[in-house]
Amino acid sequence: MKIRNMKDFLAGLMFIAFGAAATALAQNYNMGTAARMGPGYFPTVLGGVLAVLGVIILMESFVVDGEGPKNISFRPLILVLLSTVIFGVLLRPLGLVLALFALIAVSALGGHEFKWKEVLVLFAILASGSVAVFVYGLQLQFPLWPWSN
Amino acid sequence: MESGLLANLALGFGEVFRLQPVTMWGVAFQQVPFNIIMCFIGCLLGTLIGVLPGIGPIATIAMLLPATYALQPVAALIMLAGIYYGAQYGGSTTAILVNIPGESSSVVTCLDGYQMARQGRAGAALSIAALGSFFAGSVATLLIAAFAPPLAEVAFKFGPAEYFSLMVLGLIAAVVLAHGSVIKAIAMIILGLLLGIVGTDVNTGTSRFAFGVPELSDGIGFVAVAMGVFGFAEVITNLEQKEHREIFTKNVTGLWLSWADFKEAYGAVLRGTTIGSFLGILPGGGALLSSFAAYTLEKKWSKNPETFGKGNIKGVAAPESANNAGAQTSFIPLLTLGIPPNAVMALMVGAMTIHGIAPGPQVMTERPALFWGMIASMWVGNLMLVILNLPLIGLWIKLLTVPYRYLYPAILVFCCIGVYSVSNSEFDVYLTALFGLLGYVFVKLECEPAPLLLGFILGPMMEENLRRAMLLSRGDATVFFTRPISAGLLIVTAILLITILSPKIRKKREEAFQEE
Amino acid sequence: MKRLAIVLCTMFAAFAHGQTAYPSKSIRLVVPFPPAGATDILSRDLMQRVSARLGQQVVVDNRPGAGGTIGSDLVAKAAADGYTLLMATTSTHSIGPTLTPKLPYDPVKDFAPVSVIAVSTNLLVVPSSLQVNSVKELVALAKAKPGQLNFGSSGTGTIVHLSGEMFRHRTGTDIMHVPYKGTQLVVPDLISGQISMLFDNIVSAQPNLKTGRLKAIGISSLKRSPLMPEVPTIAESGYPGFEASVWFGVYAPAGTPKEIIARLNREIVAALHSPEMKERLAILGAEPIGSTPEEMAHTVAGETAKWARVIKDANVRID
Repeated sequence: MKIRNMKDFLAGLMFIAFGAAATALAQNYNMGTAARMGPGYFPTVLGGVLAVLGVIILMESFVVDGEGPKNISFRPLILVLLSTVIFGVLLRPLGLVLALFALIAVSALGGHEFKWKEVLVLFAILASGSVAVFVYGLQLQFPLWPWSN
Repeated sequence: MESGLLANLALGFGEVFRLQPVTMWGVAFQQVPFNIIMCFIGCLLGTLIGVLPGIGPIATIAMLLPATYALQPVAALIMLAGIYYGAQYGGSTTAILVNIPGESSSVVTCLDGYQMARQGRAGAALSIAALGSFFAGSVATLLIAAFAPPLAEVAFKFGPAEYFSLMVLGLIAAVVLAHGSVIKAIAMIILGLLLGIVGTDVNTGTSRFAFGVPELSDGIGFVAVAMGVFGFAEVITNLEQKEHREIFTKNVTGLWLSWADFKEAYGAVLRGTTIGSFLGILPGGGALLSSFAAYTLEKKWSKNPETFGKGNIKGVAAPESANNAGAQTSFIPLLTLGIPPNAVMALMVGAMTIHGIAPGPQVMTERPALFWGMIASMWVGNLMLVILNLPLIGLWIKLLTVPYRYLYPAILVFCCIGVYSVSNSEFDVYLTALFGLLGYVFVKLECEPAPLLLGFILGPMMEENLRRAMLLSRGDATVFFTRPISAGLLIVTAILLITILSPKIRKKREEAFQEE
Repeated sequence: MKRLAIVLCTMFAAFAHGQTAYPSKSIRLVVPFPPAGATDILSRDLMQRVSARLGQQVVVDNRPGAGGTIGSDLVAKAAADGYTLLMATTSTHSIGPTLTPKLPYDPVKDFAPVSVIAVSTNLLVVPSSLQVNSVKELVALAKAKPGQLNFGSSGTGTIVHLSGEMFRHRTGTDIMHVPYKGTQLVVPDLISGQISMLFDNIVSAQPNLKTGRLKAIGISSLKRSPLMPEVPTIAESGYPGFEASVWFGVYAPAGTPKEIIARLNREIVAALHSPEMKERLAILGAEPIGSTPEEMAHTVAGETAKWARVIKDANVRID
């Protein structure tokens, strides 16, 4: 059997995985009865239905033609996500300004071209703007620098 | 009755425009239209908050609570109302400009609004959103003024069984939102339902799917999911383009609505207003459904449904009008029952309590100046927002002409700051990254995010009402069919389902699917 | 030289002591509930006055989540220098510990009591369509129709829920618990009659009582409320000793110096005794208390034991 629609094949697998995981995890909770549904009832049913749908989609992928996923390049994906995570990690220890620098620099690496001058200018504008608007203007609580409490 | 209404409205507007002596910074001013100024400040603040994706209600509220203490009740409530609508308008703006829904009711606006922006029609999209919202707000305000007490009674007819059936209808309607495979849309809805279940179960207090992480005990935040799945995924896929092509075309076709646009959209505005006005009356969730319902209806009734999701102006006009109408009429359960539709409105109840006013029907009779002043301020607030937002459209369009490589880090910065500020937690930032990854996978596998988000929002409510209905009927499942309103809703759902699945429609879908 | 050293040391000591007189900077009061809720409003009202007396701002920091346990945990683990305080309530320190065995903090060992601020109580309300006008009649109806009446609550393990369980146990009736996400959300179903009764906040219930949609048949405090003196207490309606009220109190992390606690207690009690404060609290349906730290420890222990019994008797569990 040939996989004719890679997108649907993978989608089907994904749904089966989510559905099975949900049903399995829901077993830890009380099922209850139909009249007094416990916390596990609804997720079990949903997980089951999701898995079944996943199977149907999977089977259709052998029958109906379709294109495979296009245009996958890992660089933007990894760098954008990484920059976000780095921001989260650095925010409290190093303060908003430095965390923003990391966020901007790393995410800029995910773009088509990376020029230090542009990145620094962008950083200057965004950091000063953010601090002005969010910290002073809206009074949100952010540690600004590594030495801020 | 007519003259009574007019007299009340006159009282209200008089209150809003009232000149009063005010002492500021030690200087005593005599004739200051203080309430109007508060309205303006509220609208401005609200717009700012709405435009910055993710600045959450808690930050806003915590910031403003001291201010509401100091102000007189009318002024405080007027300001809060201004913030409420301002945030709505702002949320639509981000949905159109950067595909990030500022509020749950703006999710649907992303579908066509963002596409319009990419095609250089951001001006038209923003304009129709503002104008449609203003129209809807005006109509809804009139409805409240004239019919608040009888409309409040409708809320009593809706018990748990009715809410459940309404939500089932809403979810099936969400399938219509999708322009691809029906089965995948249903699967996404169910996945959304499951994600919504994460957190503490209302009925038993059990913590579900939280893996012992305390930040998850109240559920996954809407902001993290919306930003990740819509915003981040969009940024990442844009960066993948092999050719260095600008995301937003420079060929901007004018700042405003063309006459042709207007003619196309005004029907959608009317229909959206009707749907939103009705659904907003239902306390707890009615307003959310209105934008989804309006979009679905437009798409179903359209002669070319395949244009939806690709920049059809009706796809912006209808939900925007609906959600603003819903936002207005959701004041009815607030004013008559004291049930706030969301966190900012909960602040309103708090503000009323602080000033010794118990929200309820007696507010109308005991404090008519306050009540009608609030009603009048709703209209004035809407007007102010149109005045504030229309000129800003030029600014936004200019912003979109900035090369994408400068734009997207800015988007990421605002998203990260916004999502962190919701509960001062880095965990939410990590969660957003995770959903960004998921969103990317969804795009690649052609699974649509909008049904997921609807399932995510409605899931917990649906389960809560299902279980409660079953509890109250002592396990009798026929209750959903024996109660007339519930039965009616389920019948409509069935009809909708049949039209979706019937062979003729399905073939048309597959044709449209293969054309993509 | 030695004399100079002694003088300098003494001056320095005096200087240092003066510099660190409490409070020398703003104090943070963690409120583990969302803004604009009852606990939050009460805290802000009080802290406005306490700030004036202390000469330093007491800033309210909302840290909602997990029924108040996230905020409580924050203070439990904070520095015991008097600059971080907690506004606790029955659910965080009297009910929470029994119901949630895996709490990240110990409600007794990790905290030092400062003062009980206020106590609020609930009204027992029924829809006007229900043909009962007193607790006696309600109990009679419930016994005549076992399993058919129910009571709403703001969630499993909340005081509204446990009040209902205590009621059920004392009266020996078979009524079913129906949880909601908040007391206000019960009201539409209560009015339409799908829910038979609710322990509602005395002030929030007023609008519906005035319009006649709901009837108040009892109050869960030991003494009648001045706000509604015509409503009998449940205790005097045939169930002596029935009492279900919510306490609000301030805690500091364990190990906070005694002088700081004494100072805080003094200012809080003084602020509570002003007539405006009494009025502000009455708006929320609460009465000012202002106890000593020892009294607070005693009160909380008593409440914890009482609710533990109710929880055991009613077999309330969070799985």
